[in-house]
Amino acid sequence: MVPGTSTPTRPRFWPRFASPVRSTALTARLGRVLGIMFGICFVTGLLSHYQYQPWSWLPEPATPVWGYRITQGLHVATGTAAIPLLLVKLWSVFPKLFQWPVVKGARHGLERLSVALLVSSGLVELFTGLFNSLNWYPWPWDFVPVHRFLAYVLIGSILLHIAVKLPDIKYGLNTKLALGDVLTEKSWQENPDAYSNNDNTHVAPPAPEGLSRRGVLLATGAGVGLVVATSVGQTVTPLAPIGLLATRQAKKGPQGVPVNRTADQAKVRGLALAPGYTLQVTGPAPFTLTLAEVEALATHEKSFPISCVEGWSVGARWQGVRLIDLVERAGGSADCRVRVVSLEPKGSYRHSYVDGPQVAEALLATHLNGDRLHIEHGYPLRLIAPDRAGVLNTKWLARVEIS
Amino acid sequence: MSRTRMVIGSSGGLLMLFGAFRLFTEVSTRNLLFLALWLAGAVAIHDGVLAPVVVGIGAALRRIPARARRFVQGALIAGGLVTVIALPLIHRENSQPKVKAVLQQDFTANVAILLTIVAGVAVLLYLVRVVSGGQAASATNDRPSDDHASSSE
Repeated sequence: MVPGTSTPTRPRFWPRFASPVRSTALTARLGRVLGIMFGICFVTGLLSHYQYQPWSWLPEPATPVWGYRITQGLHVATGTAAIPLLLVKLWSVFPKLFQWPVVKGARHGLERLSVALLVSSGLVELFTGLFNSLNWYPWPWDFVPVHRFLAYVLIGSILLHIAVKLPDIKYGLNTKLALGDVLTEKSWQENPDAYSNNDNTHVAPPAPEGLSRRGVLLATGAGVGLVVATSVGQTVTPLAPIGLLATRQAKKGPQGVPVNRTADQAKVRGLALAPGYTLQVTGPAPFTLTLAEVEALATHEKSFPISCVEGWSVGARWQGVRLIDLVERAGGSADCRVRVVSLEPKGSYRHSYVDGPQVAEALLATHLNGDRLHIEHGYPLRLIAPDRAGVLNTKWLARVEIS
Repeated sequence: MSRTRMVIGSSGGLLMLFGAFRLFTEVSTRNLLFLALWLAGAVAIHDGVLAPVVVGIGAALRRIPARARRFVQGALIAGGLVTVIALPLIHRENSQPKVKAVLQQDFTANVAILLTIVAGVAVLLYLVRVVSGGQAASATNDRPSDDHASSSE
Protein backbone atom coordinates (compact mmCIF):
# COMPACT_ATOMS: atom_id res chain seq x y z
CA MET A 1 0.00 0.00 0.00
CA VAL A 2 1.80 3.14 -1.14
CA PRO A 3 0.46 6.52 -2.14
CA GLY A 4 -0.80 6.52 -5.69
CA THR A 5 -2.51 9.14 -7.73
CA SER A 6 -5.43 10.48 -5.81
CA THR A 7 -8.92 10.94 -7.02
CA PRO A 8 -10.20 14.26 -5.73
CA THR A 9 -13.29 12.88 -4.06
CA ARG A 10 -11.52 10.03 -2.26
CA PRO A 11 -10.83 10.56 1.44
CA ARG A 12 -7.17 10.90 2.31
CA PHE A 13 -7.11 7.77 4.46
CA TRP A 14 -8.52 5.62 1.65
CA PRO A 15 -6.14 2.69 0.92
CA ARG A 16 -4.12 2.86 -2.28
CA PHE A 17 -2.50 -0.12 -3.93
CA ALA A 18 0.44 0.21 -6.27
CA SER A 19 2.09 -3.22 -6.29
CA PRO A 20 2.50 -4.31 -9.92
CA VAL A 21 2.19 -8.00 -8.95
CA ARG A 22 -1.60 -8.01 -8.98
CA SER A 23 -3.06 -8.19 -12.45
CA THR A 24 -6.19 -9.31 -14.24
CA ALA A 25 -3.87 -11.71 -16.08
CA LEU A 26 -2.87 -13.30 -12.74
CA THR A 27 -6.40 -13.32 -11.28
CA ALA A 28 -7.87 -14.89 -14.42
CA ARG A 29 -5.33 -17.71 -14.25
CA LEU A 30 -6.04 -18.35 -10.58
CA GLY A 31 -9.77 -18.11 -11.22
CA ARG A 32 -9.64 -20.62 -14.05
CA VAL A 33 -8.15 -23.31 -11.81
CA LEU A 34 -10.42 -22.38 -8.90
CA GLY A 35 -13.48 -22.47 -11.15
CA ILE A 36 -12.59 -25.98 -12.33
CA MET A 37 -12.11 -27.06 -8.69
CA PHE A 38 -15.48 -25.62 -7.68
CA GLY A 39 -17.12 -27.28 -10.68
CA ILE A 40 -15.73 -30.72 -9.84
CA CYS A 41 -16.58 -30.22 -6.19
CA PHE A 42 -20.17 -29.23 -6.96
CA VAL A 43 -20.86 -32.10 -9.38
CA THR A 44 -19.27 -34.74 -7.13
CA GLY A 45 -21.23 -33.25 -4.23
CA LEU A 46 -24.48 -33.74 -6.15
CA LEU A 47 -23.44 -37.32 -6.93
CA SER A 48 -22.78 -37.89 -3.25
CA HIS A 49 -26.18 -36.48 -2.33
CA TYR A 50 -27.72 -38.87 -4.85
CA GLN A 51 -26.18 -41.78 -2.95
CA TYR A 52 -28.32 -40.81 0.02
CA GLN A 53 -31.55 -39.90 -1.78
CA PRO A 54 -31.76 -41.64 -5.17
CA TRP A 55 -34.89 -41.48 -7.30
CA SER A 56 -36.67 -44.83 -7.14
CA TRP A 57 -36.73 -45.12 -10.94
CA LEU A 58 -32.99 -44.53 -11.24
CA PRO A 59 -31.23 -46.53 -8.53
CA GLU A 60 -27.54 -46.16 -7.81
CA PRO A 61 -25.50 -48.41 -10.14
CA ALA A 62 -23.31 -51.24 -8.83
CA THR A 63 -20.48 -50.62 -11.27
CA PRO A 64 -17.80 -49.45 -11.22
CA VAL A 65 -17.38 -50.72 -7.66
CA TRP A 66 -14.99 -47.81 -7.00
CA GLY A 67 -17.37 -45.16 -8.35
CA TYR A 68 -18.08 -43.41 -5.07
CA ARG A 69 -14.47 -43.86 -4.00
CA ILE A 70 -13.40 -41.70 -6.96
CA THR A 71 -16.17 -39.12 -6.86
CA GLN A 72 -16.11 -38.52 -3.12
CA GLY A 73 -12.31 -38.61 -3.00
CA LEU A 74 -12.38 -35.90 -5.67
CA HIS A 75 -15.03 -33.95 -3.77
CA VAL A 76 -12.98 -33.71 -0.59
CA ALA A 77 -9.64 -33.27 -2.38
CA THR A 78 -10.88 -30.45 -4.63
CA GLY A 79 -12.74 -28.82 -1.74
CA THR A 80 -9.61 -28.90 0.41
CA ALA A 81 -7.39 -27.62 -2.40
CA ALA A 82 -9.88 -24.85 -3.13
CA ILE A 83 -9.34 -23.30 0.31
CA PRO A 84 -5.74 -22.13 -0.28
CA LEU A 85 -6.56 -21.33 -3.91
CA LEU A 86 -9.52 -19.18 -2.94
CA LEU A 87 -7.37 -17.29 -0.43
CA VAL A 88 -4.78 -16.47 -3.10
CA LYS A 89 -7.51 -15.54 -5.56
CA LEU A 90 -9.01 -13.16 -2.99
CA TRP A 91 -5.57 -11.69 -2.27
CA SER A 92 -5.16 -11.02 -5.98
CA VAL A 93 -8.30 -8.85 -6.06
CA PHE A 94 -8.12 -7.38 -2.56
CA PRO A 95 -7.70 -3.79 -3.91
CA LYS A 96 -11.12 -4.11 -5.56
CA LEU A 97 -12.62 -4.02 -2.07
CA PHE A 98 -11.55 -0.37 -1.92
CA GLN A 99 -13.22 0.87 -5.09
CA TRP A 100 -14.17 4.51 -4.89
CA PRO A 101 -16.96 5.49 -4.82
CA VAL A 102 -17.97 2.41 -2.85
CA VAL A 103 -21.21 2.10 -4.81
CA LYS A 104 -21.75 3.88 -8.11
CA GLY A 105 -25.37 2.99 -8.63
CA ALA A 106 -27.96 0.25 -8.31
CA ARG A 107 -26.31 -2.04 -10.83
CA HIS A 108 -22.83 -1.64 -9.34
CA GLY A 109 -24.28 -2.10 -5.86
CA LEU A 110 -25.93 -5.34 -6.89
CA GLU A 111 -22.70 -6.56 -8.44
CA ARG A 112 -20.79 -5.81 -5.25
CA LEU A 113 -23.45 -7.56 -3.18
CA SER A 114 -23.21 -10.64 -5.39
CA VAL A 115 -19.42 -10.65 -4.95
CA ALA A 116 -19.89 -10.39 -1.16
CA LEU A 117 -22.23 -13.37 -1.32
CA LEU A 118 -19.73 -15.25 -3.49
CA VAL A 119 -16.87 -14.65 -1.06
CA SER A 120 -18.89 -15.41 2.07
CA SER A 121 -20.63 -18.51 0.74
CA GLY A 122 -17.31 -19.74 -0.70
CA LEU A 123 -15.44 -19.36 2.57
CA VAL A 124 -18.24 -20.84 4.69
CA GLU A 125 -18.94 -23.74 2.32
CA LEU A 126 -15.28 -24.75 2.05
CA PHE A 127 -14.34 -24.33 5.70
CA THR A 128 -17.46 -26.05 7.07
CA GLY A 129 -16.78 -28.88 4.62
CA LEU A 130 -13.22 -29.22 5.88
CA PHE A 131 -14.41 -29.09 9.49
CA ASN A 132 -16.99 -31.79 8.77
CA SER A 133 -14.19 -34.09 7.62
CA LEU A 134 -12.52 -33.37 10.98
CA ASN A 135 -15.71 -34.37 12.83
CA TRP A 136 -15.93 -30.78 14.05
CA TYR A 137 -19.26 -28.96 14.15
CA PRO A 138 -18.86 -25.56 15.83
CA TRP A 139 -22.27 -24.40 14.53
CA PRO A 140 -25.85 -25.14 15.60
CA TRP A 141 -27.33 -26.10 12.20
CA ASP A 142 -27.60 -29.51 10.60
CA PHE A 143 -24.54 -29.81 8.34
CA VAL A 144 -26.01 -31.67 5.36
CA PRO A 145 -28.88 -29.40 4.18
CA VAL A 146 -26.86 -26.22 4.73
CA HIS A 147 -23.80 -27.63 2.92
CA ARG A 148 -26.05 -28.86 0.12
CA PHE A 149 -28.11 -25.72 -0.50
CA LEU A 150 -25.33 -23.23 0.20
CA ALA A 151 -23.50 -25.05 -2.60
CA TYR A 152 -26.23 -23.94 -5.04
CA VAL A 153 -25.91 -20.35 -3.81
CA LEU A 154 -22.14 -20.57 -4.23
CA ILE A 155 -22.09 -22.17 -7.67
CA GLY A 156 -24.81 -19.74 -8.80
CA SER A 157 -22.86 -16.73 -7.61
CA ILE A 158 -19.73 -18.11 -9.33
CA LEU A 159 -21.65 -18.35 -12.63
CA LEU A 160 -23.02 -14.84 -12.14
CA HIS A 161 -19.50 -13.61 -11.39
CA ILE A 162 -18.17 -15.28 -14.55
CA ALA A 163 -20.92 -13.63 -16.59
CA VAL A 164 -20.16 -10.19 -15.13
CA LYS A 165 -16.40 -10.58 -15.52
CA LEU A 166 -16.32 -12.42 -18.85
CA PRO A 167 -14.54 -9.61 -20.76
CA ASP A 168 -11.93 -9.34 -17.98
CA ILE A 169 -11.51 -13.13 -17.93
CA LYS A 170 -11.00 -13.20 -21.69
CA TYR A 171 -8.53 -10.35 -21.50
CA GLY A 172 -6.70 -11.92 -18.56
CA LEU A 173 -6.34 -15.34 -20.10
CA ASN A 174 -5.31 -13.93 -23.50
CA THR A 175 -2.62 -11.69 -22.07
CA LYS A 176 0.89 -12.75 -21.13
CA LEU A 177 1.27 -12.83 -17.39
CA ALA A 178 4.03 -10.21 -17.22
CA LEU A 179 2.22 -7.88 -19.63
CA GLY A 180 -1.24 -7.76 -18.07
CA ASP A 181 -2.45 -4.49 -16.62
CA VAL A 182 -1.85 -3.78 -12.95
CA LEU A 183 -4.91 -4.41 -10.81
CA THR A 184 -5.49 -1.64 -8.29
CA GLU A 185 -8.43 -0.22 -6.37
CA LYS A 186 -9.20 2.01 -9.36
CA SER A 187 -11.69 0.91 -11.96
CA TRP A 188 -10.40 0.48 -15.49
CA GLN A 189 -12.09 3.65 -16.63
CA GLU A 190 -9.79 5.64 -14.36
CA ASN A 191 -6.76 3.43 -14.83
CA PRO A 192 -4.53 4.62 -17.67
CA ASP A 193 -2.80 1.24 -17.54
CA ALA A 194 -5.98 -0.75 -18.02
CA TYR A 195 -6.54 -3.02 -20.95
CA SER A 196 -9.55 -1.13 -22.20
CA ASN A 197 -7.33 1.87 -22.72
CA ASN A 198 -4.75 -0.29 -24.42
CA ASP A 199 -3.65 0.12 -27.95
CA ASN A 200 -0.47 -0.87 -29.65
CA THR A 201 1.41 1.86 -27.90
CA HIS A 202 0.41 0.61 -24.46
CA VAL A 203 3.39 0.60 -22.12
CA ALA A 204 3.66 -2.65 -20.20
CA PRO A 205 3.66 -2.42 -16.41
CA PRO A 206 6.93 -2.39 -14.45
CA ALA A 207 8.19 -5.77 -13.25
CA PRO A 208 7.58 -6.35 -9.54
CA GLU A 209 10.70 -5.81 -7.43
CA GLY A 210 10.13 -8.99 -5.49
CA LEU A 211 8.24 -12.07 -6.53
CA SER A 212 7.01 -11.98 -10.12
CA ARG A 213 3.47 -12.88 -11.13
CA ARG A 214 4.75 -16.19 -12.39
CA GLY A 215 6.47 -16.61 -9.03
CA VAL A 216 3.12 -16.12 -7.27
CA LEU A 217 1.58 -18.84 -9.41
CA LEU A 218 4.50 -21.18 -8.78
CA ALA A 219 4.46 -20.60 -5.02
CA THR A 220 0.68 -21.05 -4.94
CA GLY A 221 1.03 -24.23 -6.96
CA ALA A 222 3.69 -25.47 -4.56
CA GLY A 223 1.53 -24.74 -1.49
CA VAL A 224 -1.65 -26.24 -2.94
CA GLY A 225 0.34 -29.15 -4.36
CA LEU A 226 1.85 -29.91 -0.95
CA VAL A 227 -1.59 -29.81 0.68
CA VAL A 228 -3.06 -32.16 -1.92
CA ALA A 229 -0.10 -34.55 -2.01
CA THR A 230 0.04 -34.88 1.77
CA SER A 231 -3.70 -35.18 2.35
CA VAL A 232 -5.04 -37.45 -0.42
CA GLY A 233 -3.18 -40.44 1.03
CA GLN A 234 -6.38 -41.11 2.97
CA THR A 235 -7.98 -42.25 -0.28
CA VAL A 236 -5.13 -42.59 -2.82
CA THR A 237 -3.48 -45.45 -0.95
CA PRO A 238 -0.03 -45.23 -2.62
CA LEU A 239 0.32 -41.70 -1.20
CA ALA A 240 -0.53 -42.81 2.35
CA PRO A 241 3.16 -42.92 3.42
CA ILE A 242 3.55 -39.17 2.77
CA GLY A 243 0.17 -38.33 4.28
CA LEU A 244 1.44 -35.72 6.74
CA LEU A 245 -1.86 -33.84 6.51
CA ALA A 246 -4.07 -36.90 5.99
CA THR A 247 -6.88 -36.97 8.54
CA ARG A 248 -7.48 -40.72 8.29
CA GLN A 249 -4.87 -43.44 8.34
CA ALA A 250 -6.41 -46.73 7.29
CA LYS A 251 -3.68 -48.87 8.82
CA LYS A 252 -4.48 -47.51 12.28
CA GLY A 253 -8.07 -48.79 12.10
CA PRO A 254 -9.10 -52.27 13.20
CA GLN A 255 -8.46 -54.79 10.37
CA GLY A 256 -6.80 -52.00 8.39
CA VAL A 257 -10.04 -50.05 7.89
CA PRO A 258 -11.02 -46.78 9.64
CA VAL A 259 -14.32 -46.49 11.50
CA ASN A 260 -16.85 -43.68 11.28
CA ARG A 261 -19.43 -44.58 13.92
CA THR A 262 -18.07 -46.69 16.75
CA ALA A 263 -19.97 -49.47 18.53
CA ASP A 264 -20.06 -47.33 21.67
CA GLN A 265 -21.35 -44.26 19.82
CA ALA A 266 -24.08 -46.48 18.36
CA LYS A 267 -24.73 -48.00 21.82
CA VAL A 268 -24.77 -51.41 20.20
CA ARG A 269 -21.97 -53.34 21.90
CA GLY A 270 -24.21 -55.41 24.23
CA LEU A 271 -26.78 -56.17 21.53
CA ALA A 272 -24.19 -57.20 18.95
CA LEU A 273 -22.35 -59.54 21.33
CA ALA A 274 -25.51 -61.09 22.83
CA PRO A 275 -25.37 -64.91 22.57
CA GLY A 276 -28.90 -65.29 21.25
CA TYR A 277 -28.28 -63.23 18.09
CA THR A 278 -30.56 -63.96 15.17
CA LEU A 279 -31.00 -62.40 11.73
CA GLN A 280 -34.61 -61.91 10.71
CA VAL A 281 -35.52 -61.90 7.05
CA THR A 282 -39.03 -60.64 6.30
CA GLY A 283 -40.90 -60.95 3.02
CA PRO A 284 -43.47 -63.26 1.40
CA ALA A 285 -41.71 -66.24 3.10
CA PRO A 286 -40.06 -64.85 6.24
CA PHE A 287 -37.42 -66.81 8.15
CA THR A 288 -34.86 -66.40 10.91
CA LEU A 289 -31.21 -67.44 10.95
CA THR A 290 -29.06 -68.10 13.98
CA LEU A 291 -25.50 -66.82 14.06
CA ALA A 292 -24.19 -70.31 13.27
CA GLU A 293 -26.53 -70.57 10.28
CA VAL A 294 -25.44 -67.16 8.99
CA GLU A 295 -21.78 -68.13 9.32
CA ALA A 296 -22.38 -71.42 7.50
CA LEU A 297 -23.79 -69.50 4.52
CA ALA A 298 -20.99 -66.94 4.51
CA THR A 299 -18.84 -68.45 1.78
CA HIS A 300 -18.85 -65.75 -0.88
CA GLU A 301 -15.91 -63.38 -1.31
CA LYS A 302 -15.88 -59.91 -2.85
CA SER A 303 -13.40 -57.07 -3.09
CA PHE A 304 -15.24 -53.80 -2.49
CA PRO A 305 -13.70 -50.54 -1.32
CA ILE A 306 -15.32 -48.78 1.59
CA SER A 307 -15.57 -45.06 0.81
CA CYS A 308 -16.67 -42.50 3.31
CA VAL A 309 -18.45 -39.21 2.63
CA GLU A 310 -15.64 -37.60 4.65
CA GLY A 311 -13.21 -38.42 1.88
CA TRP A 312 -11.33 -41.46 3.09
CA SER A 313 -11.52 -44.81 1.36
CA VAL A 314 -9.73 -48.11 1.38
CA GLY A 315 -9.93 -51.30 -0.63
CA ALA A 316 -10.98 -54.38 1.36
CA ARG A 317 -11.70 -58.08 0.96
CA TRP A 318 -15.05 -59.20 2.33
CA GLN A 319 -16.54 -62.63 2.93
CA GLY A 320 -20.21 -63.21 3.65
CA VAL A 321 -23.70 -64.21 2.58
CA ARG A 322 -25.02 -62.93 -0.74
CA LEU A 323 -27.98 -60.64 -0.11
CA ILE A 324 -29.78 -61.99 -3.18
CA ASP A 325 -29.67 -65.55 -1.76
CA LEU A 326 -31.58 -64.41 1.33
CA VAL A 327 -33.97 -62.29 -0.75
CA GLU A 328 -34.83 -65.21 -3.03
CA ARG A 329 -35.23 -67.61 -0.10
CA ALA A 330 -37.72 -65.15 1.44
CA GLY A 331 -39.73 -65.16 -1.78
CA GLY A 332 -38.29 -61.98 -3.35
CA SER A 333 -36.19 -61.34 -6.42
CA ALA A 334 -33.41 -59.07 -7.68
CA ASP A 335 -36.07 -56.50 -8.58
CA CYS A 336 -37.08 -56.04 -4.96
CA ARG A 337 -36.28 -53.05 -2.84
CA VAL A 338 -34.53 -54.30 0.29
CA ARG A 339 -34.26 -52.49 3.61
CA VAL A 340 -31.55 -53.59 6.03
CA VAL A 341 -31.96 -52.61 9.67
CA SER A 342 -29.29 -52.37 12.34
CA LEU A 343 -29.36 -53.43 15.98
CA GLU A 344 -28.57 -49.77 16.64
CA PRO A 345 -31.36 -48.40 18.88
CA LYS A 346 -31.33 -44.99 17.18
CA GLY A 347 -29.45 -42.94 14.62
CA SER A 348 -30.04 -41.55 11.13
CA TYR A 349 -28.23 -44.46 9.51
CA ARG A 350 -29.63 -47.37 11.49
CA HIS A 351 -31.22 -48.62 8.29
CA SER A 352 -30.61 -48.28 4.57
CA TYR A 353 -32.15 -49.34 1.30
CA VAL A 354 -30.57 -51.57 -1.32
CA ASP A 355 -32.06 -51.05 -4.76
CA GLY A 356 -31.65 -52.03 -8.37
CA PRO A 357 -28.33 -53.48 -9.51
CA GLN A 358 -26.86 -53.39 -5.99
CA VAL A 359 -29.29 -56.08 -4.73
CA ALA A 360 -27.60 -58.76 -6.81
CA GLU A 361 -24.08 -57.62 -5.86
CA ALA A 362 -24.41 -56.83 -2.15
CA LEU A 363 -22.90 -59.02 0.53
CA LEU A 364 -23.86 -59.40 4.18
CA ALA A 365 -20.30 -59.68 5.44
CA THR A 366 -19.03 -61.74 8.32
CA HIS A 367 -15.32 -61.39 7.50
CA LEU A 368 -13.09 -58.46 6.61
CA ASN A 369 -9.61 -58.86 5.20
CA GLY A 370 -9.51 -62.53 6.23
CA ASP A 371 -10.65 -62.19 9.85
CA ARG A 372 -14.00 -62.32 11.60
CA LEU A 373 -15.59 -58.87 11.44
CA HIS A 374 -14.49 -56.56 14.26
CA ILE A 375 -17.28 -55.20 16.48
CA GLU A 376 -16.40 -51.69 15.25
CA HIS A 377 -16.95 -52.82 11.66
CA GLY A 378 -20.38 -54.28 12.41
CA TYR A 379 -19.98 -57.70 14.05
CA PRO A 380 -21.79 -60.02 13.73
CA LEU A 381 -23.02 -59.00 10.26
CA ARG A 382 -22.91 -55.90 8.06
CA LEU A 383 -23.96 -54.85 4.61
CA ILE A 384 -21.28 -54.12 2.01
CA ALA A 385 -22.20 -53.16 -1.54
CA PRO A 386 -20.25 -51.74 -4.48
CA ASP A 387 -20.21 -48.01 -5.38
CA ARG A 388 -21.96 -47.13 -2.14
CA ALA A 389 -21.35 -44.39 0.44
CA GLY A 390 -19.66 -45.88 3.53
CA VAL A 391 -22.35 -45.02 6.05
CA LEU A 392 -25.01 -46.70 3.89
CA ASN A 393 -23.26 -50.03 4.39
CA THR A 394 -25.30 -50.61 7.54
CA LYS A 395 -23.48 -52.33 10.41
CA TRP A 396 -24.67 -54.71 13.19
CA LEU A 397 -27.54 -56.05 11.08
CA ALA A 398 -30.67 -57.28 12.81
CA ARG A 399 -33.16 -57.50 9.97
CA VAL A 400 -33.51 -57.75 6.22
CA GLU A 401 -36.88 -56.57 4.92
CA ILE A 402 -38.03 -57.30 1.38
CA SER A 403 -40.76 -55.23 -0.26
CA MET B 1 -24.24 -7.77 -22.84
CA SER B 2 -23.61 -10.79 -25.03
CA ARG B 3 -25.88 -13.81 -25.27
CA THR B 4 -23.26 -16.01 -23.59
CA ARG B 5 -23.08 -13.71 -20.61
CA MET B 6 -26.87 -13.57 -20.36
CA VAL B 7 -27.14 -17.37 -20.37
CA ILE B 8 -24.34 -17.89 -17.80
CA GLY B 9 -25.53 -15.06 -15.61
CA SER B 10 -29.20 -15.98 -15.57
CA SER B 11 -28.51 -19.67 -14.91
CA GLY B 12 -26.28 -18.53 -12.03
CA GLY B 13 -29.03 -16.32 -10.71
CA LEU B 14 -31.54 -19.17 -10.88
CA LEU B 15 -29.20 -21.54 -9.02
CA MET B 16 -28.68 -18.88 -6.34
CA LEU B 17 -32.42 -18.39 -5.97
CA PHE B 18 -32.98 -22.14 -5.77
CA GLY B 19 -30.29 -22.53 -3.09
CA ALA B 20 -31.58 -19.59 -1.08
CA PHE B 21 -35.19 -20.78 -1.36
CA ARG B 22 -34.30 -24.26 -0.16
CA LEU B 23 -32.21 -22.87 2.68
CA PHE B 24 -35.20 -20.82 3.79
CA THR B 25 -37.55 -23.81 3.60
CA GLU B 26 -35.22 -26.46 5.11
CA VAL B 27 -33.40 -24.56 7.84
CA SER B 28 -34.99 -23.04 10.94
CA THR B 29 -35.01 -19.27 11.37
CA ARG B 30 -32.70 -19.52 14.36
CA ASN B 31 -30.15 -21.55 12.40
CA LEU B 32 -30.49 -19.22 9.39
CA LEU B 33 -29.51 -16.35 11.68
CA PHE B 34 -26.45 -18.29 12.80
CA LEU B 35 -25.64 -19.04 9.15
CA ALA B 36 -25.97 -15.33 8.32
CA LEU B 37 -23.61 -14.62 11.21
CA TRP B 38 -21.09 -17.11 9.81
CA LEU B 39 -21.38 -15.66 6.31
CA ALA B 40 -20.83 -12.13 7.57
CA GLY B 41 -18.12 -13.29 9.98
CA ALA B 42 -16.21 -15.10 7.22
CA VAL B 43 -16.01 -11.91 5.14
CA ALA B 44 -15.20 -9.80 8.20
CA ILE B 45 -12.38 -12.12 9.28
CA HIS B 46 -10.99 -12.39 5.76
CA ASP B 47 -11.29 -8.76 4.68
CA GLY B 48 -10.79 -7.22 8.08
CA VAL B 49 -8.05 -9.40 9.59
CA LEU B 50 -6.41 -11.92 7.30
CA ALA B 51 -6.05 -9.80 4.15
CA PRO B 52 -4.73 -6.67 5.96
CA VAL B 53 -2.23 -8.85 7.87
CA VAL B 54 -1.01 -10.31 4.57
CA VAL B 55 -0.74 -6.82 3.04
CA GLY B 56 1.14 -5.70 6.16
CA ILE B 57 3.57 -8.60 5.93
CA GLY B 58 4.06 -7.76 2.26
CA ALA B 59 4.90 -4.15 3.19
CA ALA B 60 7.31 -5.28 5.93
CA LEU B 61 9.11 -7.54 3.44
CA ARG B 62 10.18 -4.49 1.41
CA ARG B 63 13.10 -4.08 3.83
CA ILE B 64 14.59 -7.29 2.45
CA PRO B 65 16.85 -6.80 -0.59
CA ALA B 66 14.86 -7.52 -3.71
CA ARG B 67 16.89 -10.49 -4.88
CA ALA B 68 16.30 -12.40 -1.64
CA ARG B 69 12.81 -11.01 -1.11
CA ARG B 70 11.17 -12.97 -3.88
CA PHE B 71 12.28 -16.25 -2.32
CA VAL B 72 11.03 -15.17 1.11
CA GLN B 73 7.71 -14.20 -0.47
CA GLY B 74 7.44 -17.48 -2.33
CA ALA B 75 8.21 -19.49 0.79
CA LEU B 76 5.68 -17.49 2.83
CA ILE B 77 2.95 -18.06 0.23
CA ALA B 78 3.54 -21.83 -0.03
CA GLY B 79 4.10 -22.22 3.72
CA GLY B 80 1.13 -20.03 4.61
CA LEU B 81 -1.21 -22.05 2.42
CA VAL B 82 -0.07 -25.31 4.00
CA THR B 83 -0.52 -23.77 7.46
CA VAL B 84 -4.12 -22.69 6.76
CA ILE B 85 -5.10 -26.32 6.22
CA ALA B 86 -2.89 -27.63 9.03
CA LEU B 87 -4.25 -25.36 11.79
CA PRO B 88 -7.72 -26.95 12.06
CA LEU B 89 -6.08 -30.40 11.96
CA ILE B 90 -3.82 -29.43 14.86
CA HIS B 91 -6.85 -28.12 16.74
CA ARG B 92 -8.75 -31.39 16.23
CA GLU B 93 -5.82 -33.71 16.92
CA ASN B 94 -6.77 -36.74 19.09
CA SER B 95 -10.33 -35.45 19.51
CA GLN B 96 -11.98 -38.70 18.41
CA PRO B 97 -12.05 -42.30 19.67
CA LYS B 98 -8.83 -44.06 18.69
CA VAL B 99 -10.60 -46.82 16.79
CA LYS B 100 -11.84 -44.32 14.16
CA ALA B 101 -8.25 -43.93 12.93
CA VAL B 102 -8.87 -40.23 12.48
CA LEU B 103 -6.68 -37.24 13.45
CA GLN B 104 -4.11 -39.34 15.27
CA GLN B 105 -1.01 -37.76 13.82
CA ASP B 106 1.18 -35.17 15.49
CA PHE B 107 0.17 -32.49 13.02
CA THR B 108 2.30 -29.83 14.70
CA ALA B 109 5.39 -31.91 13.98
CA ASN B 110 4.11 -32.74 10.49
CA VAL B 111 3.51 -29.12 9.53
CA ALA B 112 6.96 -28.28 10.92
CA ILE B 113 8.40 -30.87 8.53
CA LEU B 114 6.47 -29.38 5.60
CA LEU B 115 7.48 -25.81 6.46
CA THR B 116 11.11 -26.90 6.80
CA ILE B 117 10.90 -28.44 3.33
CA VAL B 118 9.39 -25.23 1.94
CA ALA B 119 12.05 -23.08 3.60
CA GLY B 120 14.81 -25.47 2.50
CA VAL B 121 13.69 -25.39 -1.13
CA ALA B 122 13.49 -21.57 -1.04
CA VAL B 123 17.02 -21.28 0.41
CA LEU B 124 18.30 -23.76 -2.15
CA LEU B 125 16.72 -21.86 -5.04
CA TYR B 126 18.14 -18.61 -3.68
CA LEU B 127 21.64 -20.09 -3.42
CA VAL B 128 21.38 -21.43 -6.96
CA ARG B 129 20.41 -17.95 -8.09
CA VAL B 130 23.31 -16.35 -6.20
CA VAL B 131 25.86 -18.88 -7.44
CA SER B 132 24.69 -18.71 -11.02
CA GLY B 133 25.27 -14.95 -10.89
CA GLY B 134 21.68 -13.88 -10.76
CA GLN B 135 22.48 -10.38 -11.98
CA ALA B 136 20.26 -10.70 -15.00
CA ALA B 137 17.30 -11.78 -12.91
CA SER B 138 17.90 -9.57 -9.93
CA ALA B 139 15.37 -6.88 -9.41
CA THR B 140 15.45 -3.97 -11.72
CA ASN B 141 12.67 -1.91 -13.03
CA ASP B 142 13.11 -3.42 -16.45
CA ARG B 143 10.23 -5.63 -17.18
CA PRO B 144 10.99 -9.03 -18.66
CA SER B 145 10.37 -9.27 -22.37
CA ASP B 146 7.78 -11.95 -21.72
CA ASP B 147 6.70 -14.19 -18.90
CA HIS B 148 9.23 -16.89 -19.78
CA ALA B 149 12.08 -14.51 -19.16
CA SER B 150 11.01 -13.55 -15.65
CA SER B 151 12.34 -16.93 -14.36
CA SER B 152 12.30 -15.95 -10.73
CA GLU B 153 12.22 -19.57 -9.62
